[in-house]
Amino acid sequence: MTAIIEATNVAKMYQLGKDNHVHALRGTTVSIESGEMVAIMGPSGSGKSTMMHMLGCLDKPDSGEVTLSGRRVDTLVNGHLARLRSQEIGFIFQGFNLVPTLSALENVALAAEYAGKSRKEASQMAEEALIKVGLGDRLRHAPSELSGGQQQRVAIARAMVNKPAVILGDEPTGDLDTASSQEIVAMMRHINKTTGTTFVLVTHNPEVGEACDRIITMRDGAVIDDGRAAADNADEAVA
Amino acid sequence: MRTIRNIFRRKMRAILTISGIMIGVFALIVMGAMAEKITLLVDGGTKYYGDKVTMTAGKGGAMSLGTEPLSTKTVKEVEKVDGVARASASIMLLQDPKGGSVNMGVPPMIGGIDGRGKGLESFKITYAEGRDIKPGENGAAVVGADMVKKLNAKVGSNIKVRGETFRVVGIMDKTLTAPDSEIVVSLHDIQDMYVKQLPVMLRDKVDPATVATGLTIYIKKGQNPETVAKRINKQFPNFTATGPKAFQEQIASSTKIFTSIIFGIAMISLLVGGLSVVNTMTMAVSERTREIGIRKAIGATKRAIVRQFLAESAVIALIGGFMGLLFGALFVFAANSGNTGTPLFLLTTRLIAGSLSFALVLGVLSGLYPSYHAARLSPVAALRYE
Ligand SMILES: Nc1ncnc2c1ncn2[C@@H]1O[C@H](COP(=O)(O)OP(=O)(O)O)[C@@H](O)[C@H]1O
Ligand SMILES: [Mg+2]
Repeated sequence: MTAIIEATNVAKMYQLGKDNHVHALRGTTVSIESGEMVAIMGPSGSGKSTMMHMLGCLDKPDSGEVTLSGRRVDTLVNGHLARLRSQEIGFIFQGFNLVPTLSALENVALAAEYAGKSRKEASQMAEEALIKVGLGDRLRHAPSELSGGQQQRVAIARAMVNKPAVILGDEPTGDLDTASSQEIVAMMRHINKTTGTTFVLVTHNPEVGEACDRIITMRDGAVIDDGRAAADNADEAVA
Repeated sequence: MRTIRNIFRRKMRAILTISGIMIGVFALIVMGAMAEKITLLVDGGTKYYGDKVTMTAGKGGAMSLGTEPLSTKTVKEVEKVDGVARASASIMLLQDPKGGSVNMGVPPMIGGIDGRGKGLESFKITYAEGRDIKPGENGAAVVGADMVKKLNAKVGSNIKVRGETFRVVGIMDKTLTAPDSEIVVSLHDIQDMYVKQLPVMLRDKVDPATVATGLTIYIKKGQNPETVAKRINKQFPNFTATGPKAFQEQIASSTKIFTSIIFGIAMISLLVGGLSVVNTMTMAVSERTREIGIRKAIGATKRAIVRQFLAESAVIALIGGFMGLLFGALFVFAANSGNTGTPLFLLTTRLIAGSLSFALVLGVLSGLYPSYHAARLSPVAALRYE
């Protein structure tokens, strides 16, 4: 298997004040294989979101390397990173994911427009993506007219509209009730299985972790378990 | 459409900001229309004085009251001066001896001319109705376009000016300058009126048959009116001959100050509107920080973010601009049609185009800093923003 995203010895420090700083990541290494669905878990403040930002080309590490499909990305300029994000990565965030003044269709189309598609083309792609997440009848609804679960489905449609290789989620089920949360996880699992899209999900929710192929556990800015042994055991158990 | 939706996310604030621009553009349109009217009057006046020399009694400039009256006898003498084609005697009096009535530039005048300038006058007067006064046609009057309503004048009807009654024989076409507010009568009639208004002790000193307050001197082709004016001044030390330059300079300098004050006031109110756009856009950016983070995460470039916010501020300014224009135009039309004398305002296309483009430029400039600030936000910082 080949790694689709790799963060090697990545460090990130935040300066809070003079002589006061936080090591959000302490030379941490994470490697995600193509087609995997991985959960990143760990206590609050352990650096999960920071790691996701590194993997998603949203931020640059102080030291270490990040590669996407074998290409070094931490050295790229911001404009180039924006293009990478729009074409090769999809994002799902926790709550308030959508632009409130845009309809479901427009929210999804926005991602395609940022990727350089014409309005018309983007709108068509968005409609297809929304049909795939079961919202074909909610195209013109504003986010405020949709339930939390439906909003996250719009976010999933937006994340996949440009057919990225990787979709990253930061607490994608964080604001949802159990039923909606299960529905969203199942949907991501289904997309992962049918399209081979890689998923990396930062989560607190053990059910999300269970649905994934592997759980990376972090604490104090470091990976304490990359979940590989457990995943191998599971494979063996199946075999 | 999306831009409009974003602007009206905060309805009250959007309306207030748009009103700020609207009031500014309204002021610019109304004040500007006033300045345009003045400019036009001045241009007309400049043209009117463009090729002739004006002679008045006494020394001390064209506008000062003559001490020793001119006389129609002077006409013949002046015509002997080298370069003079012809001279024409006239008297101008205020239509309303007490002054009064709102006016700009020239107050409404009643004048009489001897008609000797016929054919030489480069400032052509045409008639909407009726005709010019014939030489020696007493008791007749020609009425300027802007005086028609005020005097309820029709060809064949009678009008009363300074207590005298005249029969209207013609109504002038609009000239957009002084003659619009004038009434023209025969020289004989105006001489009588002139003498009547003199203090009793002065009346004996003037001959009502020959008195005049001004001579209009037409210059021979190819001659410089300024040179001819100098020549006349040398030969007639008791009178003052003024070339076109003095008039033009005097008019230009006084109107320049006036129009710049007018425009200055309007600009200030528009700038205040611009500042409220800066304020609104800054607030919009900070309210939408998380949204900006999400947009950036899903691939928005700096340019896309700048474009989004600039479009918003430009549209705010344009909506305000168009509304200001609308209300300004309505005001101008209402004021012009409600006023019986010379219209006070003139709405020109250059004023409309200028006001709208100024509003647009102001909107874009006001949006520049907030948009740039939004575009520079790091996606991570924006996403973490609560
Ligand atoms: N912009 C920032 N400024 C200061 N500290 C930050 C910033 N971002 C993250 N941190 C700190 O870095 C650590 C890791 O944060 P984060 O990656 O969000 O953790 P998690 O997602 O696991 O809760 C925390 O201690 C957090 O307070
Ligand atoms: Mg987090």
